[in-house]
Amino acid sequence: MNSVRTWVPMVCALALGAVTFPAVGQDVVKIGQIEAQTGPLATYGWMGNQGAKLAVDEINKAGGFKVGEKTYKLELIAPDTRANPQEALIQMKQLLEQDKVKFVFGPFLTNVFNGIEPYMTQNNGKFLLMGGATAIHAQLGTPNRDYLVRTWNWDAGETGFGQLMVDYLKKQGAKKTAMLFQNDAFGKVAVDIYSPIFKAAGIELQIELFEPGTKDFSAPLAKLATGKPDYLFPGYTDAVLYDIVRQATETGLFKKFFLVRGSMGPGLKNKDQIEDYIAYLPKYFEEAEKSEPKTKAFVAAYKNFYKRDFPYDQAPLCSSSCYDHVFMLVEAMKRAGSVDDVAKVKQALMSFTYNGIWNIRYDKTGEAVFGFDVVHLKKGGAITSTHIEPK
Amino acid sequence: MGQLILGQLLNGAIVGTLYGIIALGVTLTFGITGIVNFALGAFMMLGAYMAWFLTDEAGLAYPLAVPCAVAITALAGLLADQTLFRFTRNNLVNGLLVSIGLIAVMEGGALLLWTSTPKNMEYVLPGVFTFFGLVVPKMKLVVFLVLLGVILATYAALTRTWIGRAAYAYSQNPEAAELMGVRTKVMQSGVVVYSTGLAGLGGALYASLYSIDPTMGSVYILKAVESAILAGIGSVMGSLFGGVLLGITEGVGSIYLPIAFRDAYGLIFLVAILLFKPAGLFAGRR
Repeated sequence: MNSVRTWVPMVCALALGAVTFPAVGQDVVKIGQIEAQTGPLATYGWMGNQGAKLAVDEINKAGGFKVGEKTYKLELIAPDTRANPQEALIQMKQLLEQDKVKFVFGPFLTNVFNGIEPYMTQNNGKFLLMGGATAIHAQLGTPNRDYLVRTWNWDAGETGFGQLMVDYLKKQGAKKTAMLFQNDAFGKVAVDIYSPIFKAAGIELQIELFEPGTKDFSAPLAKLATGKPDYLFPGYTDAVLYDIVRQATETGLFKKFFLVRGSMGPGLKNKDQIEDYIAYLPKYFEEAEKSEPKTKAFVAAYKNFYKRDFPYDQAPLCSSSCYDHVFMLVEAMKRAGSVDDVAKVKQALMSFTYNGIWNIRYDKTGEAVFGFDVVHLKKGGAITSTHIEPK
Repeated sequence: MGQLILGQLLNGAIVGTLYGIIALGVTLTFGITGIVNFALGAFMMLGAYMAWFLTDEAGLAYPLAVPCAVAITALAGLLADQTLFRFTRNNLVNGLLVSIGLIAVMEGGALLLWTSTPKNMEYVLPGVFTFFGLVVPKMKLVVFLVLLGVILATYAALTRTWIGRAAYAYSQNPEAAELMGVRTKVMQSGVVVYSTGLAGLGGALYASLYSIDPTMGSVYILKAVESAILAGIGSVMGSLFGGVLLGITEGVGSIYLPIAFRDAYGLIFLVAILLFKPAGLFAGRR
C-alpha cells in the first residue's frame, strides 16, 4: 500500500512534467500568426497561413537557423480569428501572455486590427507585429506603436500600387468607374483612399456601399449601371466578388471589372461573360513560375507539403505576412544576433532587401515595398500580365 | 428610371418568394405547435449545403439533388421534433429557446464540416430571359416558379383536403379537433417536418443563385418572421404576399435610399403597416 502511495504521485509528477515542459532545452522560437483562416473574409489570411506553415516546415527540416552559437527551430502558433475581433483579442492575449510569443504575423483585416490595437499598444515594446491590414498604415511611426510593421504595399503615393493600377486603368480609356464596396471599416477606408486617386487621374467615380451579408446585388448593380460607368470596382474579398461578378455579368449590367484586392477566381469562373477583369496581384504565379526558379520551387514545395494542387487563384495573395516574411524574419534575427530583442530585430528587418519569391524591403516608416503584377483577363480566358516594380 | 424600378419590382418579387417559403414554415409551425421556430433559417442552411454537396461533391444532377436535400432536411426536422420540439408544444418561450439553441448547434456543425468559407455551386442554369428590356436570370425565374408552385400547392392542400381542414380546425380549437378524430400528435410532428422540408427547399434553391455559408439562414429567418408578421400570422397566402412585399420594399427602396441600410427599409415598412393594421395585412384570412 505504501509503495502505491509513493509511486503513483511520482508517476503522475513525471507524466505532468513530460506534458508541461516538452520544449525545455530545445531552443524553439515561437512565432504567432493571427489571421482569419476560414470565413467570408479569409481570402488573405488562409493563404498567408498556408505560406507561413510551409516556410516554418522548410526552415525546421533544414535543421533550423543559427543565431550566435545557438541553433533554433520555429514553432508556429496560428489560431483562426474567423475575422472576429473579439475572438482575435482573446487569441492575441493568449499568444503574448501564455505562449510568450514575441513575433506575430497578421492580421490582414482592418476590423481585426482595430479590435486588437488598444491591447497591443498597451504592450508596446514587448513584441513585433507584421501585419497587412490597411489600418496599420496610419499607425506606423505614431507614439507607442513601435511594435508595428506593415507587410503590404500601400495603395496611394508615387509607389502605391493603387495609384499605379489607376494609371493602368486610365490607359485602357476608362472615364467613369463605379465603386461597390461593403459598408464596413475597410470599405470606408478604401473610399477615402481611392476617391482622390481617381479624381487626380480624371476618372469620375460613383460610390455605393452595401450592407455586410448582402448576397443579392441586383439593386446596387442596377442603380450603378444607370450612370453608365466603364468599369465596376467591386468589393475586396472573394466572398462577395463571386456573387457580384456573377450577377453583374449574367444580367449584362457590367462586363468590365477593376480590382485591387481579391483573387482571379471570380473572373475565371465567369470568363466567357466578362470583357475585362483587371486585377492587382502581388504575383501572377502561372506566368512567374515559368521564368523564376524561386517561384517554381515554391509551387513544387507547396504541392509536396500539402499533397494537393497549387491554388493558383489564391496563391498571389500570400505575399502579405506569409512565406517570404518568415524567412525575412529569420534573416533579421540572424543579423540582430537575437531571437528576443524585438527592437534589434525590427531594426535589422528594416535594413535589408530580402530576395525571395518577392524582392521585399521596408521603407523608413516600416511599410513593405515589393513588386506586383497587373493581370488583365479578357473574354474567353486570355490573360496578359504586366510586372511593375515600384522605385 | 422606369425600367430600373420595374426591374427591382420583379427582382424583389423573386427574392420575396424565398422569404415567403420560410415565412410559410413559420406560420404553419406557429399555428399548429404554438411556437415560432427560429431554427428554420438553420434548416434552410442545411438544405443549401446538402444541395451543394450532392451536386458539386457527390456529382448528382441538380434536379435530383434538390429533392434529396429536401428529404434530408425534413428528416433532420423529424429528429429535432422528436428529440426537442415535442416537449415544447404550445409553449412559446420554451420553443423559442430550443430553436435558438438548435441554431447554434446546426451552425456550429456546419462550421466544423465545411468551415465558414462560402461555397459557390457550379452554375445550374446560366443565361437570362429578356422581356421588354427587363433582364431576368433564368435560374431566378425557375426558383420563383417552383416556390410559387409549392406555396400555391400548400394553400390548395390546406383548403381542399381533409388534412388541411383538420389542420385549420386544430389551429382554431385543438380540443374540439381532437374529439372529432384529428390525430393531433401526428399532425404537430407532420407540420414541423413539412416546415423544415420547405426551409430545405428554399435553401436548396438558394444555393443555385448565391454563395452559401453557415450563417446564411439568420438573415432569412428574420425576413421570414417579418413577412409572416406583415401578412398576419396564420395566413398561408399572406406569407407569400408578405415575403414579396418585403422583397419589393427592399429592392425599390434601395434605388432611392442608401443601399447600405437596405434591411432597415423592410423593418420601417413593417412598423408602418402594424401601426394601421396591428394584426397584419391578411389577418383572419387563409
